[in-house]
Formats: sequence, C-alpha cells, structure tokens
Amino acid sequence: MSKRRGSREQRAVSAGPLDVEGHPLDTQMPQPPMPPGAAELADRPSRTLWGDAWTRLKKNKLAIIGLAWVIVVVILTLSADLWVPRYFADPTSTEFGSLIKPTFPDHPFGTDRIGRDVFSRVVYGARVSLAVGILAVGISLVLGLILGALSGYYGGFIDTMVMRTADIFFAFPYMLFTIALLAVLGPSFQNVFIAIGILGWPSIARVFRSSILSVKENEYVDAARAMGASDWRIMVRHILPNAIAPITVYATMSVGGAILTEAALTFLGMGVQPPTPAWGAMLDDARSLILPAPWLTIFPGFAILTTVLAFVLMGDGLRDALDVKMKD
Amino acid sequence: MALLEVTGLRTQFFTRDGVVKAVDGVSFELEQGKTLAIVGESGSGKSVTALSLMRLIQEPQGRVVEGGVNLGGQDVLKMSDTAIRAMRGNRIAMIFQDPMTSLNPVFRVGYQIGEALRVHKGMNRKRAFDRAVEMLDLVGIPNAAHRAKDYPHQFSGGMRQRAMIAMALACDPDILIADEPTTALDVTIQAQILELMVELQQREGTAIIMITHDLGVVADMANDVMVMYGGKQVEYGVADDVFYRPLHPYTWGLLDSLPRHDISAKGELCPIKGQPPSLIDIPSGCAFHPRCPYAKEICRTTVPALVEIEPGHSSACHFSGDPAFRRDQVACSADMEAN
Amino acid sequence: MSELLRVENLVKHFAVDQGVVASHLGKKVHAVDGVSFSVNKGETLGLVGESGCGKSTTGRCIIRLLEPSAGSITFDGTDVRSLRGKALQSFRRDVQFIFQDPYASLNPRMTIGEIVSEPMVVHRIGTPATRRTRAKELLDVVGLNPEHINRYPHEFSGGQRQRIGIARALALNPRLLICDEPVSALDVSIQAQVINLLDELQDRFELTYVFIAHDLSVVRHISDRVAVMYLGKIVEVGGWLGLYDQPHHPYTQSLLSAVPVPDPDKQRSRERIILEGDVPSPIDPPTGCRFHTRCPIAQDICTATEPELREVADGHEAACHFAKPFPITAEAPAAVAGEGAVAG
Repeated sequence: MSKRRGSREQRAVSAGPLDVEGHPLDTQMPQPPMPPGAAELADRPSRTLWGDAWTRLKKNKLAIIGLAWVIVVVILTLSADLWVPRYFADPTSTEFGSLIKPTFPDHPFGTDRIGRDVFSRVVYGARVSLAVGILAVGISLVLGLILGALSGYYGGFIDTMVMRTADIFFAFPYMLFTIALLAVLGPSFQNVFIAIGILGWPSIARVFRSSILSVKENEYVDAARAMGASDWRIMVRHILPNAIAPITVYATMSVGGAILTEAALTFLGMGVQPPTPAWGAMLDDARSLILPAPWLTIFPGFAILTTVLAFVLMGDGLRDALDVKMKD
Repeated sequence: MALLEVTGLRTQFFTRDGVVKAVDGVSFELEQGKTLAIVGESGSGKSVTALSLMRLIQEPQGRVVEGGVNLGGQDVLKMSDTAIRAMRGNRIAMIFQDPMTSLNPVFRVGYQIGEALRVHKGMNRKRAFDRAVEMLDLVGIPNAAHRAKDYPHQFSGGMRQRAMIAMALACDPDILIADEPTTALDVTIQAQILELMVELQQREGTAIIMITHDLGVVADMANDVMVMYGGKQVEYGVADDVFYRPLHPYTWGLLDSLPRHDISAKGELCPIKGQPPSLIDIPSGCAFHPRCPYAKEICRTTVPALVEIEPGHSSACHFSGDPAFRRDQVACSADMEAN
Repeated sequence: MSELLRVENLVKHFAVDQGVVASHLGKKVHAVDGVSFSVNKGETLGLVGESGCGKSTTGRCIIRLLEPSAGSITFDGTDVRSLRGKALQSFRRDVQFIFQDPYASLNPRMTIGEIVSEPMVVHRIGTPATRRTRAKELLDVVGLNPEHINRYPHEFSGGQRQRIGIARALALNPRLLICDEPVSALDVSIQAQVINLLDELQDRFELTYVFIAHDLSVVRHISDRVAVMYLGKIVEVGGWLGLYDQPHHPYTQSLLSAVPVPDPDKQRSRERIILEGDVPSPIDPPTGCRFHTRCPIAQDICTATEPELREVADGHEAACHFAKPFPITAEAPAAVAGEGAVAG
C-alpha cells in the first residue's frame, strides 16, 4: 500500500481529539472547520430564508406603506358592520333629504344621487374588491400552479399541451374574453371572480413553469433523484419551496390587477350588480355627475388607485426581498 | 524607479452588515517586464487590489480610503476622471477570469479589439480593424483576418481568452493585470495561454500582475510573489524565496495543502484548519491566528507588521525572523492530536 | 480484492435538439462512447479528463441519473440497467453521489438536519427521533458541530457545505460513492481538508470511490487507479504510480506536462508539450484515434484506425498505436530507456 495509508494508521492510534464544544471526535481527521467566531454563530438564532426576506422587506419603505394600507383597508372593511351603519349610514339606505350633497360630518364623503352615503359605500365596496381580488387570484393559483408544475416538471407532451392552451388564452383580448365569459355565466359577484380567476391561470402557470425549470437544474434535485426519492417528494420538498418566490410576487401583484378588472367589469355593468356597493359601480353611477359632484368619482377612484397601488408596491418589495443570490 | 509603486493601499466597502475591509494596507512595486503574482484564497482581497489600481471600485458602496498608486510619477488615485479614462486600457489593461462573459456578444471580435485603439489612439475604424487583425494574429489565432469578423460565440473558450489578451495588449500597455486568466480553462488550454503571455511579455516588455489562487501558475510565471490573507499582505518577495524559503505560516499551510503530481511518493496533505475569515469580521490581531498552528497570545492581540526579514523578502508574522521558528511537517499531525 | 463495479462499453448519446443549425439536426453528442472499466472493493478509481470528455456523464449513468444509450453496468453481480422498483431502491442505498457544487447541491429551504436525514426518510428507515440522532452522528463524523443541525445551508461556507453533502451520502451506509468533482469548487486549504476527510471515511467505512475530477494532482493523490478520458473514451488506465510516472499515451503525457507545478526551478526546467488547438466537438468526433487532430506524433494509421486499449505494463493499459513510456518530446531518461521496448 502507499505511504499515505501508512501514516494514516499512525494517526489512527492517537487519542480521540475533542472539538470546540468538547464533544469527543471519534474520527481521526483535522479539526472540524469551525468558521472564525464559531461561538457567536452557535449562539445566533438560525435564520430562515423567509425570515431574511422579511428583514429585507421591513427596510423597504414603499413596500411597508403598501402593506400598511392593505392592512388598514382589511381592518376597516371587516369591522365595517360594527361602526359604519351606527355612525354614518347603511351603504344601501337612501336619504331623500340629502341628494348629491357634500355634507360634513354626517356624510364625510358626501351623498350620491339617491342619497346614499358615499363613505359607507366606499368602505363596503372594499369588501367586494378585496374578496374578488383574493378569490380570483386563488382560483388562478390553484389552476396555474397545478398546470405549471405538471408542465415544468414532466415537460414533453404535457408541457406542449399546457403551454399551447395558455398561448390560446393569451391570444384573446383579455377584457373581451372576460366580458364574453360573463355574458355566458351571467353577471354576478361570484361569476366575476370565477371569470377573472379562470383567465388568470396562464400567466401563473407560465411564471411557475419557468421557475420550476430553473430550480430543476439544481444539483439538489439530482441528489434527491439519486437517493431514490419519489416524484411527489421531489416536487413538494425540493422544487415547490424554491420555485414559489416568483409566484408570491406575481400573485401579490395580480390581486391588484384583479381588483382593477373587477372595477372595470362592474363599471361596464358586467360585474357585481346593484345595490351591492362596489367601486366600479359607484364610478359608473357618477359618470354623468363628474363635474357638478366630483366627490362621487374622486373617493371611489382614489380607493381603487390606492388599493391597487398598495398591492403592486407590496409585490415589488417582495421581489426585491426574495431576490437574493443564494451564494451570498 | 519602479514602473508602478503601490503604498499602503486600503479599500473598503460599506455594506448594511458593516464595513468590509477588502484591502487593508497593501504595498508593492512592479518593474517593467516583470511579473508579480498576487496569491490568495477567495475573499483575500486580491481582485479588489487590482480593481483599486484601475480605479474601478464602485462608489459610493466602495472606496479607496487610503494609499498611493504611483504610475510613472503620477498618483493614479488623484487623477481626474478624464485622465483615468485615458489611462485605463491604454497604460494599464486588464483581462478577466471568464472569457465567456467578458466579450460583448453583439459586436464582432475585431471591432471590440479595435475599440480601445479608436478611443485611445484616435484611429479610424479601418485602421483599428487592421490593427485588431494584427493583434489576433499575434495571439495565435489562425486565419485572423477572417476570424476578426466573427462574433464571440463563434470562438471557443481558449480563443476568447486569446482575443481578450489581444484586446488588452492592443494599445501596448505598460501593465497587464490578469485576474485568474486561466481558471475557467482546461489545463491544456491553460498551458497555451500561459505560454502566450510569457512570449508576449518577452516581446513587448509588458509588466504583468497575475492574480491567481494556483501556486503552479505562480511558479510558472512570477518573478515576485505577494501572498494575501484577509485583505492583508502576509508575505512578499522574490518567487524563489517564497517557494523555497517561505516565512509566513499561511504560506507554509498553502504549500502543504497542495497535492503534487510531480513527486513520486504520495505525501500527506496537511490542510490549514478552519475557514478563511469573513472580511467584515476579521479576527483581532493577526487575521490568520484562529487557523495558525503556531499562534501565541500576542497573535490574538497585536497586528503583526510586514517586516523585511531578509533582503527583498518580507513577512507579516510576529515570529518570522526568529531562527527557531520553522515550518515543520510535524505540526500537521501534532496539531490534530492536540486540539 | 473482489470486483464491485464493472462498466462495459458504456455509451451515452444526447440528441442535439436545440438551436437551428441545420447541419446539427438529427445529430448526436457522443458524450460517452464505449467506456469500460472496473472498480474493486475498497479502492478508488480516479476518472480524469478535460471538460466535455464525458467523465461526469459516466458517473451519472452509473447511478442511473441518466439512462445509458448502450452498454452494461454491473454492481456487485447485479445488472444495474435492468433494476426496477424495490431492487432499484436498494441499489440507490448502496451507491451514493457527491456533487461538485456545494451551493447548488443542498436545498436552501431545508435545514441541514433535514438534508442529512432525507435519505433515511426516503427509504423509510428509523423514526424521526432515531433519524435525528443519526443525522447528528453523521455531522460529527464529517467534522461539523452536531448542534448546528437546525441551521440552513446558507449559513455555512463552501467547505462546510461539501461536508454536509458527504454526510448525506453516508446516511445509508453506502458501499460505493461516486464523487463528481467534489473539491474543485473549494479553496486550496479547504480542498485539502475535504480530500483528507474522504480518505479517512474510506478507511473507516470500507468505502469504494469513483472519483471524477479534472485536477490531475488531486486525482493522483486520492486514487489507487486512474483512468484518463478524452472525448468520450478512456485513453489510458493504470495504477496511480505507473500512470503518472510513466504515462504511455501522448494525451496523458501532454496533460501531465501542462499542469504547472508549485516549484519554480522545476517549472523552468520542465519539458512541456503544449497541445495545439481545442478539443474537437463531440458532435463530430474525429475518425480513428480521437486524439489524432492534436497529437504531436500522429501518423496515417491514427486517422484511419481506432486504437484499442492494450496492456503496456502490468495493470496499465493505453489506447495508442505508438504508446511508449516516456514523454513524446523529451529525450528518453536513462532510467526508463530500457523499458522503452513496449513502445511502437
């Protein structure tokens, strides 16, 4: 045998060394490679990647403003039943004494042409918008993630089928497609989010597919295959958690997009039907009064703008926060 | 007088996590026609040293905070932006590690090589292109007139690195900085490129700063060697001195970590324990002390200065120069048992 | 010593399906083209060559990460290519892989405890508690602090991550480890640590290694026998001492002469063979001997006839029509001149 082996045996006779923490090391090899300052490392709480992302997100002012606004809107609408009808007015009740009046403080945002309180309608309108936004994106996510995953992981024929179908969806003008779908389903709150959700999947599937394709190249996926892990396990444990970051960003931004689409559809009369308060419907109502009663357009319009913007800012911040080079 | 004189160079980066002392007091000289090798592991500050010389540190994240870079009587660190641009690519040129990404894929190779000539020498397109063809021929690209019209993707890795060298040498620079020029290449191609560099150096008298982690490449090319660790210079001297009479324990460790194929017996590899330090959190005293088998109390507390131990050979270790302080193979296994 | 792994006439072709270059349509990349070797129990076979020579593809075919196009792989008497279901799972327990890139080979969303115990989860071995104990034990074996079991890979340096990868490979007490460039991404001092660790583990657990690398010095250090690959073929194979001291194939000779040694005097006086040009494309490998386009001693026969591997010394084979035991450009050193009889 080589000289190398001889000296190895010599070392094997030596007494077991201890590592930094005093654990006996029964292996005969050089000191474990504790990084300099290993003691501090050991004391420091372990950081997860999402934890790191949150730390970075916190430093992004715009994203935090977006997040704060979304939280404010959610709290206001969820608690609306507790305070809006009592202090202001029921969103559907009409008050014939005050038609189209910018009165304060009873009606902080004024009243509309049939005497409904605009403030109350804006607050309740957020329910429709948020619900549609979240439910629609939820549907897109379920469809998009499943189809994108199949497409990206298996490739080949499945990939071709899914991606060509997505192309067909992309080829139709989005708004016309939604309107056509709603014309078939009939305009209602439920059908609005179903329609937006169904039409949203191709983008999600495409983003997810490309993200899976790049994650699949990583050697840890090969490592899992080499140890005999099942496709399901590789997908769920190794690919999904690493491919989900771009989807998080995209989905957050999509909520804003879905809110905008819902407002547009409702504005066109294809969406949520009166008397349910919805921002799009309020704008439609106020169209002819835009100059004499600007508050009727300003407040719902502002609500749409800020909420959509909030989601986009949040998405942008998430992108920056999650976009870390793993090697650093 | 030396062609290039660097004194007390200090470059820092200001990050959210703290100040990164990437280069911390580095001094060296470079004579015309000579090769200085800067050796170190990743994160030792060797590349940042080169970028600092070229004034290529991105401000405000990073800045050369102190030091002097004297190039033929002028201080590079005090030059105006215009003067710097006139110097880069003209008096000091640089080639990088990755030949795949250092050429712009949308321009023809000949056009890119001619770019420096158009900028610095005011040549017109035609003359610059002709000169580019000459340069490609010089670096051993067959059928240069034809290949100059190719795009980078039509070149193999070795040919791209040749083209990079042609580009760097187009303006006949005084100094060529090569940052790991052969790390991405196969050994047989590496041998071609190294031979080409030596040949061109002999012909043109260019001084070379070779940044590398490969001690074999250093032995092949260098007249002088500077070993860096944790942003500091730990050993500096003539190549033969550094290889045959190394002074610093880190240099000993590096030499003992290398498997050799040129010695008949298989020697025991004697790695340096632990990991290289993070430049944000450099250990107190001598940066190498947590990994040094010879470290004493003073190494933890006091930063050792770079001291000339023998003529033209200096080391930054408290014990270098003590005749009893020797590199011995025993330290390798003894160390493992003791700890 | 008994044979653990035998690879015979392994062929792996990849279809060229990307790009629009018409001349490439329907062509194949001949990544591995008829490779045969065997590995004995407890030994280390080094597989060395430049990028694109097919050494990694060979490794991946052995563990069935890639399906070979032709040839046979026998592990401990069983035919690996026909394994399905349970038998394949048990083969996957016996043969493990160590990857090159310590950054890409660990899932960043899993703790190192989860990473190291995953093979046990996949093969349904033990309970969560015993797996955790075993994971700690494995971390200790590879020289990491077992207390760090809940940390994530990004909290470790390159060398430490490579140790985590090694711990994962050891989890199921494998018999054969395929190491694909396990140290080439590491710094010199860390590289030596990992090489020594692999050495120690081999002795301790009676492991057999196939060690794939491009660094000739590293391969020589760790291997008992070495196979040199060029363009999908083995051009020379032999014991480490014979192969490095008396390389018979002109490619091996030029490879060895091209590696600079950390010794200025030697480097100055060394006779070097600098090969011309680049490695040809594996899409259209040269006829005859694949090395003839760059070979300094090529003759007509090299273009026409492919040389077979033939024995040039005891346990030492080379695939060259003109194999001889001393470098092609240097004068024959007196010491080996007598053995020159094998040449030609």
